[in-house]
Amino acid sequence: MDTATQTDMVTLTIDGKTVTVPKGTVVVDAAKKVDIEIPVFCYHEKLGPFGCCRMCLVEVEKMPKMATACTLAVGEGMVVKTNTDKVEKAQKGVLEFTLLNHPLDCPVCDKGGECPLQDNTFKFGPPDTRMEYNRFHRDKATPLSPVITIDRERCIACQRCTRYSDIIEKDQALVMRNRGFQNRVSTFNDEPYDTRFSGNVIDICPVGALTNTDFRFSARSWDLTNASTLCGHCACNCNMTLGTRLNEMKRITTRPNDLVDDGWICDKARWGYGFTKSKNRIAQPRNQGHSVGIQEACTEVAASLKKIVEAHGPNSVGFIGSGYGLNEDLYSYQKLFRMGLGTNNIDHKTYSDTTGLPVAHFDLLDVETSDLVVLIASDPTEELPILDLRLKKAVTRKGVSMIVLTDQQTLMDKYSALSLRYNVGSDGDLLAGLNTALQGQSAGSDIENKTGVSADQLKACAEKIKSAGKVCVIYNPAALTGSSIHTLKQCLATAGGLADTQVGAMPAAPVTNAVGAMDMGVLPDVYPGGLALSESEAIKAKWGDTAPLDKGLSALEMIEKAKSGELKALVVYRSNPVNDFPSGHEVGEALKKLDLLVVHDMMETETAKLAHIVLPSNGPGFDEGTTTNIGGRVQLRTKGLTTDNPADWKIVSMIAKVLGQETAPKDVNAVTAEIAEKVNGYQEIKRSAIRREGKSREAVTSVNVTPVSDGINTGNGLVLRVADVLFSHDKILDAESDLAHQFQPSTVHLNEKDATGLGVKEGDEVRVTGNGHEVKAEVRVSNRCNPGGVVIPKVSDEQGLMFLVEAGQTVSRVTIRK
Amino acid sequence: MFAFTEASEARIEKILAKYPEGRKISALLPLLTLAQAQEGYITPEAMVEIGKRLNVSPAYVESVCTFYTMYYTKPVGKYVVKFCINISCHLNGCDNLLEYTEKKLGIKEGETTPDKKFTLLKEECLAACCEAPVMQVNNKYHVNMTPEKVDQVLASCR
Amino acid sequence: MTQILFKNIDTPNLTSIDVYEKTLDGYQSLRKAFEKKPEEVVEMVKASGLRGRGGAGFPTGLKWSFLAKDVFPRYLACNADESEPGTCKDRDLIMKNPHLLIEGMILCSYACRIETGYIYMRGEFWEYEELMDKAIDEAYAKGYLGKNIMGSGFNLDMYTHMGAGAYICGEESALLSSLEGYRGEPRLKPPFPAVEGLYGKPTIVNNVETLCAVPFILMNGPEAYAAIGTEKSKGTKLVSVSGHVKKPGNYEVPLGTPTIDLIEKYAGGIRDGNKLKAFIPGGSSVPMLPASKADVPYDYESIMEAGSMLGSGALIVMDDTTNVVVETLRLAHFYMHESCGKCTPCREGTRWMYQILTDINNKKGKPEQVDLLNDICDNMSFKCFCPLGDAAVGPVASSIKYFREDYEELIASMKTGQPVGTI
Ligand SMILES: Cc1cc2nc3c(=O)[nH]c(=O)nc-3n(C[C@H](O)[C@H](O)[C@H](O)COP(=O)(O)O)c2cc1C
Ligand code: SF4
Ligand code: FES
Repeated sequence: MDTATQTDMVTLTIDGKTVTVPKGTVVVDAAKKVDIEIPVFCYHEKLGPFGCCRMCLVEVEKMPKMATACTLAVGEGMVVKTNTDKVEKAQKGVLEFTLLNHPLDCPVCDKGGECPLQDNTFKFGPPDTRMEYNRFHRDKATPLSPVITIDRERCIACQRCTRYSDIIEKDQALVMRNRGFQNRVSTFNDEPYDTRFSGNVIDICPVGALTNTDFRFSARSWDLTNASTLCGHCACNCNMTLGTRLNEMKRITTRPNDLVDDGWICDKARWGYGFTKSKNRIAQPRNQGHSVGIQEACTEVAASLKKIVEAHGPNSVGFIGSGYGLNEDLYSYQKLFRMGLGTNNIDHKTYSDTTGLPVAHFDLLDVETSDLVVLIASDPTEELPILDLRLKKAVTRKGVSMIVLTDQQTLMDKYSALSLRYNVGSDGDLLAGLNTALQGQSAGSDIENKTGVSADQLKACAEKIKSAGKVCVIYNPAALTGSSIHTLKQCLATAGGLADTQVGAMPAAPVTNAVGAMDMGVLPDVYPGGLALSESEAIKAKWGDTAPLDKGLSALEMIEKAKSGELKALVVYRSNPVNDFPSGHEVGEALKKLDLLVVHDMMETETAKLAHIVLPSNGPGFDEGTTTNIGGRVQLRTKGLTTDNPADWKIVSMIAKVLGQETAPKDVNAVTAEIAEKVNGYQEIKRSAIRREGKSREAVTSVNVTPVSDGINTGNGLVLRVADVLFSHDKILDAESDLAHQFQPSTVHLNEKDATGLGVKEGDEVRVTGNGHEVKAEVRVSNRCNPGGVVIPKVSDEQGLMFLVEAGQTVSRVTIRK
Repeated sequence: MFAFTEASEARIEKILAKYPEGRKISALLPLLTLAQAQEGYITPEAMVEIGKRLNVSPAYVESVCTFYTMYYTKPVGKYVVKFCINISCHLNGCDNLLEYTEKKLGIKEGETTPDKKFTLLKEECLAACCEAPVMQVNNKYHVNMTPEKVDQVLASCR
Repeated sequence: MTQILFKNIDTPNLTSIDVYEKTLDGYQSLRKAFEKKPEEVVEMVKASGLRGRGGAGFPTGLKWSFLAKDVFPRYLACNADESEPGTCKDRDLIMKNPHLLIEGMILCSYACRIETGYIYMRGEFWEYEELMDKAIDEAYAKGYLGKNIMGSGFNLDMYTHMGAGAYICGEESALLSSLEGYRGEPRLKPPFPAVEGLYGKPTIVNNVETLCAVPFILMNGPEAYAAIGTEKSKGTKLVSVSGHVKKPGNYEVPLGTPTIDLIEKYAGGIRDGNKLKAFIPGGSSVPMLPASKADVPYDYESIMEAGSMLGSGALIVMDDTTNVVVETLRLAHFYMHESCGKCTPCREGTRWMYQILTDINNKKGKPEQVDLLNDICDNMSFKCFCPLGDAAVGPVASSIKYFREDYEELIASMKTGQPVGTI
């Protein structure tokens, strides 16, 4: 590449200024480099040249006709003029055409103040129009969806929105209908435009034609206070701008970061922030149901914990956190429990995983620059939406090939070169087979019986991996059963050892800061930065001689021990085990036995209801600190809203202080700095270094575990797979959510074979039973999984889906009856 | 509900064979034409069905469909009578002929007779300018039109 | 008079392959071609001086030699969209002699190493799809299409593809969009079709008439073709003469024939004893000219010099009873109706011009509107995405240039008369 860069650059002059840019750059972008503004409407960097609005006409020496600067690729020695009389006349003419049928409603238009049409008219436009006919009448302000308003009179037909739908989201849901001046943006049969990423069209519309219904008339853009922050929903951590007024969330817009979101956000980011003003928030601390001051609450928590530890030993207390906390919060909690209370009873999840990777940790941009992406057990569309867009881009526009290895159909199948469907629950065997195939051996003849995927198919898969130059493996550890994550890591190690192949991976658990939670050592057997307990010397060096070295309890074990009475106190942070852990109803019973249950959370939950002491957590919008996304990129989540409640890490430090643990950090930066000092991989993470685009943390020490074959527990019934759904009706997207129209009914997806066997058909209302619990659902004979499995999307907390899942089993079985 | 007839299915097979693998969207216009031939106009259901077959969204089908003037998205009469109103036909008196036909059918241009037999439309140049004025009835050309010939053609429509 | 395209065109049953073979030595040119290397055939077409008859007049052999090197498959898309008002020659050729077109397409395909050809016909040609399909089937049956044609080792498949009513689909890139199943919107150029055309592959787009001239060149040699016509405009041209003439029709004449001859000798002169007032030499998209220019030789260069273009070869004749503003309105309506709507100046400009012209025709016009029209034309010219915008300007700008008095007359009669007739 280095030698090529010379010839890949092109030098040209624009209005006498010389500029050198990469070959293929269009003149509009080259001009920006030398601060020359060529007005545009239809051009958008992410959508590519289109050339329909004609606003960007320029003169180019030796070209007889004027050219559109947005479609014209730079040429060596090209001489471009953007300020001649001819250009000026053309600009005025085009603007006159553009405004011809555009209503004069700037004073009441939501786009006012940030409207390219308004700006361009001001800078380049004619003084007035010579149009004396009635403007073309179209619908004013009608709903394009429950959250987007379209004003077709304002549309200038730049086709940014429809091209977005076609090129970026790739579902062609928004299209141009009709021809000529009759053309209009529309959906099929005027149905709502309610895709997963529909809101981006609001940001890219250069006029006030597409606006945010929720934001309409609620504030003028110039009255907003804008915070550059991150989305707190999934683990992509997209960048966004949070606009507030008088400390109230008003709207969320994109804040492009090519390294993370490529300029887009999903609709959950845009409209899923109602929780910042929800009445279901935990507003105040309370003790036994009574509101108390925060200091009082913290003192009580500390005193109770201390008493219990004194009476029953450090291992009688435990901490269950979650990937929803910031690094600073999670770091503080693990430190409190390890150093302040002396226990390793610390965890944040119910599935198996280990820190670090046996291969490079790939970042999101690597998806585009790889030759092959291998997607394992992951459904990015529902779990990590921006990754879905990135994968589509990679496959359709960057020539990347994709293999999909999943137990259920996903939208990604359509983009894959090879898509293999393994039986629900057979991931351990499948990955072992893949590892064998990668080692050049046959996965054996019984593999197909066990997994539904044949040895030949695995061989084909292995061949593809071997022959690709750069391979990016994306896997969701949370969707793997038993201990198969360890087998997966063996596969990675094997692939990493291949000659001529560069392999990297991206652990893609969906929760906001899942990677950070692992890195911060919110684990019973690993200290921050991937320090396994066995590395006692290193641990002592970092954490002192009192650092506990015996293995702590996992989250599920803590529940077990609570049930048996061995665990006396539990602090639950940003987690709702009663609803989200396997066999949730039993979890509730177990928690009731505790002497002390502290719940530190943002929203009221089933678990919070059981708590003795409840502490308020600030959460996205109010909190400030870092998160680590699936690409290992650490970014700064700043606050846009303020509250009287202390930050989560601050609450932890208040508890720690009562316990006499240490001096409190002065501010969140001090905690971030401590992380940099104490956590392997985070040495370079400083606020100043991550402010703009974030920064990849260095590799975290990889902990290897030899997989055990858990085998599928046999039994009657179908193997259950609970599938994530982006717009799930939960504590965050509550009934008042702007996205409530996206909530789906409870369904159960069956393979045709099983449906026939069970005598049920599409649309039937059935009862799904398992683990002594029953869930109602409507049948979809969708072949979403292989025979023998069922997929139930987790569409609502109210389903109580996790009650069907048996605790402590690799897979759960359910029976279905009409 | 929309379903292609057996005869249409046979045609579809032939149509799809015209285009390379992976490029079957090329069959979009021919399929729309078939659907219209079957139903008289193109229903949303037909768009959904065609979208499924060609692996494109129904919105996409609608977008393409509404670009072309020969597709009707509303019901039309059994016979669609079109008059070219462009320059060569105009120079040869198409306006009078159109007016004559309007009177005869008792409807205005753009309308359908109450018995749903005739729809009368204006058309842009039909590429028979040297035989102006030109009229087309359901895809069949009628040239060098006169009021008498209009009478004859309409009479032959049963 | 040499008849190349229309030779024996009225032979009964010429659409049948047997009759075609017998009367016109049909398909014999293939033998000649297969004796040569493909590049030699391209050279012959170059040497003949044949230029595209679809409107732009681009040298055909040169276009064929622009195909992206070594990229396959390649495609041929025959442009049978024929939608330019005034033009009806391709319909005649297809209707009366479909095998000539097939033969021409085979030659082009062989020369350009193309193995798939499509005939994109405007949707209104429904009747002729069947006819063309039948002719193609006959050619397959005789071994002129399909695998290993006449033992040459050359393969070619040919299909018809129908449009559905959109003038813009005659523009080559919009035609390809339409053929691929998209909205018929034009595409950015470059890349040109010869580099990235149908399905992203190198593609030749040629007009029906252009392709129909090729068999003659193979049979009689490029010199024979080049001997006809003028120095730079070689061969014969089909001219569709329509409007106020006694015998409208398609006439095949050597390029360079005086326009007045086409009107007087071929088309029988102006009807009803009236006088010639104006004519549009090359289809609705080209500027109209006043009677004073009627002696211009009908060839590319001369018409260009006279201030218009040969275009698609449609000669629309208006007599002195015509107010050209009335006809201009017809054309303005056409362009408004046919603008695809993709680019702003064309979408908005065509409608605005139509609104103003309607006012003027309704005797509600104002004197300053003529200059406004002129300025709209200027703001559209060469600023639109594709040439349709320029085409829309042609009739308006030229009618103002040559017949401003017709505008003034209508505007002056503002208070008096009835509307002259709008659309
Ligand atoms: C708006 C527009 C309409 C056109 N319509 C036709 C047409 O109907 N038939 C045609 O052959 N060429 C038409 N053309 C010209 C084609 O773009 C193209 O130049 C031609 O098909 C090339 O073939 P040729 O080189 O054989 O002329 C049109 C061009 C424009 C800009
Ligand atoms: S709605 Fe906005 S983005 Fe879409 S075409 Fe109209 S102006 Fe462009
Ligand atoms: S920005 Fe260049 S044509 Fe629209």
